[in-house]
Amino acid sequence: MAEPAKKVEEKKVIDEGLEKGTDRLTPDRIEKVIKQVLEGESGARLKAYVDTCIHCGLCSEACHYYLSHDNDPRWSPVGKVKQTLWEMLKKKGRVSADFIRTTAEIASTECNLCKRCAMYCPFGIDIAYLMLIVRRICHRLGVTPLYIQDTAHSHSVTMNQMWVKGDEWPDTLQWQEEEAQAEIPTLRIPLEKEGADIMYSVIGPGPKFQAQLIYQAAVIMNIAGLDWTMPATPGWDNSDMAMFTGDNEIMGRIKRTHFETAARLKVKRIVMGECGHAFRSIQDVGNRWLGWRMPPIPIAHAIEFYYELLKEGKIRVAKKYAETVTFQDPCNVVRGAGLHEKARDVVNQICENFIEMHPNREHNYCCCAGGGVINCGPPYKLKRMKSNRIKAEQLFAVKSRGAKTLIAPCHNCHSGLEDINHHYELGMDIKFLGDILYEVMEKPES
Amino acid sequence: MNSLYNFVSGPLAWMAFIIFFGGCLFRIISILALVHKKEKFIYTYMSWKYSFRSIMHWIIPFATVNWRKHPVLTLVTFAFHICLIITPIFLLSHIILWDESWNVSWWSLPDSLVQVMTLIVIGSCVFFLIRRLIAPEVQYVTSASDYIILAIVAAPFITGFMAYYQWFGYQFFTILHIFSGEVMLVAIPFTRLSHMLFSPFTRAYMGSEFGGVRHARDW
Amino acid sequence: MDKRILFLIAVVLFSGIAVISGYPQEEMEFLDNSVFDKPVRTPSVFRHEEHNETAAIEECNECHHIYENGKKMDDESSEDQRCSDCHDKKDSGNKLALRKAFHKNCKGCHIQQNKGPVMCGECHRR
Repeated sequence: MAEPAKKVEEKKVIDEGLEKGTDRLTPDRIEKVIKQVLEGESGARLKAYVDTCIHCGLCSEACHYYLSHDNDPRWSPVGKVKQTLWEMLKKKGRVSADFIRTTAEIASTECNLCKRCAMYCPFGIDIAYLMLIVRRICHRLGVTPLYIQDTAHSHSVTMNQMWVKGDEWPDTLQWQEEEAQAEIPTLRIPLEKEGADIMYSVIGPGPKFQAQLIYQAAVIMNIAGLDWTMPATPGWDNSDMAMFTGDNEIMGRIKRTHFETAARLKVKRIVMGECGHAFRSIQDVGNRWLGWRMPPIPIAHAIEFYYELLKEGKIRVAKKYAETVTFQDPCNVVRGAGLHEKARDVVNQICENFIEMHPNREHNYCCCAGGGVINCGPPYKLKRMKSNRIKAEQLFAVKSRGAKTLIAPCHNCHSGLEDINHHYELGMDIKFLGDILYEVMEKPES
Repeated sequence: MNSLYNFVSGPLAWMAFIIFFGGCLFRIISILALVHKKEKFIYTYMSWKYSFRSIMHWIIPFATVNWRKHPVLTLVTFAFHICLIITPIFLLSHIILWDESWNVSWWSLPDSLVQVMTLIVIGSCVFFLIRRLIAPEVQYVTSASDYIILAIVAAPFITGFMAYYQWFGYQFFTILHIFSGEVMLVAIPFTRLSHMLFSPFTRAYMGSEFGGVRHARDW
Repeated sequence: MDKRILFLIAVVLFSGIAVISGYPQEEMEFLDNSVFDKPVRTPSVFRHEEHNETAAIEECNECHHIYENGKKMDDESSEDQRCSDCHDKKDSGNKLALRKAFHKNCKGCHIQQNKGPVMCGECHRR
């Protein structure tokens, strides 16, 4: 089980974003940027975390990278801080360009910022935050993996993650509306409806290659009889890769556009699809950058939203999903928002048989895709697979207890687990909550 | 020897206590000033309720998942920290000296118990040393300073133990005992022993973020 | 090896140990600590004559003092009394507790004179 199904040769990763960025570095620039970030931008948290860490190694077992690499300490949370941040602090920024290249790779592709380690450090040191500082330094040095940098560029230009052009967006919505009207003739996807109760927002990949999710959401909204709308303008995308490249300025622009779009439409709240990182960006990180303690407009993640619909009887279940299911707790909505019990409630309402994987809830292992790691693209896929053997083992254990379907209510988890599913040939069926809800809900006869 | 004793137990002791208390105050005030200057938002997330919820879980042995994962380490580290703090404060000899110098006194622990507690501290230090040397995840992040810190903490207890039993070199060990105690006091605010000062704050902040924003457990 | 060198080494070692560990037990005299219920430490080593000779103390009231209104009386002394006649086990008013009185009286002077035992175990030997 511990071995991947097919042996694949591991090659040294070539990433143009890192190679070209590294070529442009000079020692002075490196030193200057490191000092600006560590001394200028950072403050008490960095200082307290570095001074308080007693080098006990107790964070190690929190990390799926560490566990998946046979407890090799170089993959432990503190091990990664040692290889990156400690070195910069020790040398006061006088590090080499090669060091920055390695550091960028460690910070961007060997940590998912899932914050499981924050629950294992006796002092509550936020190692994910330290890794984000490292990413910030690499970003400001222009050394960021190519693929994720491309998404950040896309955010910057189009305000969405996938280079979706202005007219492609309403076109996609119209197309999905027409598709769905074959099922429910009265169905509408209301665009730009001022004063609606809900603005529904999705992630960039939605219109790009997961249009069926928009279809499903439209069906759910229509059957529940909700007053909802989607914006026709930029601001429809709630995702945020700039948050993960350390490009806080663009992160701020994206979030401002999103919030302002909701404000312009005068909606009561934003409901979002099953995405973890977008939720983190809106609920926890982006809002802070903009100066909002909590989001300026109430936000509901799909899990809470489904929970509400089922509880209020707006959606009724015709026949529960028959296959035995298990549930992946995504870091950003469980460790990040405590939605685990509501999620279980939803799962139990729409599925016949639910069994837990272990560990679960806040202690669930990361999918190894989030935190921008999957967005660093194909060069790192093999590393991502090898670095989450523990997840494959966890899934295999729950599968051997009868679970056939794996519910992953987060896009990153979903894609990451799909990769693991194939790489380790687990043969599980991976679904969003919405997939199942759509499948089992009562629909009018058509 | 008398002059040396008078020096370490007189002016040096004064200096050590002043540097210790002053240093601790300075470190805490300066970190709070830094929060005030650059990360004021932290205050708005702090919550007494969630701070204590988090701290309480982590100062009770086996109340967190990670404590349960490392039962031996948990026992050792709790025994170590409790003995480390209690022993010097409630040792009769120390109380007598403070009483004679400053006219303050409180109840003391029986010597036999203090002996056991001292041995626990020394034994724990040996445990930590071995763990640093052989556990790969600890060894990997260990630097010379970690051994020095450990030695600084172990020294007053080892020398104190030797002085108590008067086996040999009594005067030497007594003076070394006082001196090493002073070194530890001075080191606390200015080395990573300052986790004594900062850990309640870092824990409280993480507890507040987990409780107030993340609505999740952090233990 | 030359036997004389061995002998010399032995002498040096022995005198070293003798200096470190003080004088042999049988010559010792101790302060009477029977007034303490459960003394935690051994009674303090004290040889009255030798002490006064070495310290060149002429007046009894150097140690056997009498205080009145917080002032030490120059021409009065208390060698006919027990220390515990005046000093209770706890501080009372200006009067020090018995233990503290002993410590201050002996150690206080030793520190002042920079002579004589000052560390716990120099008097309370095991």
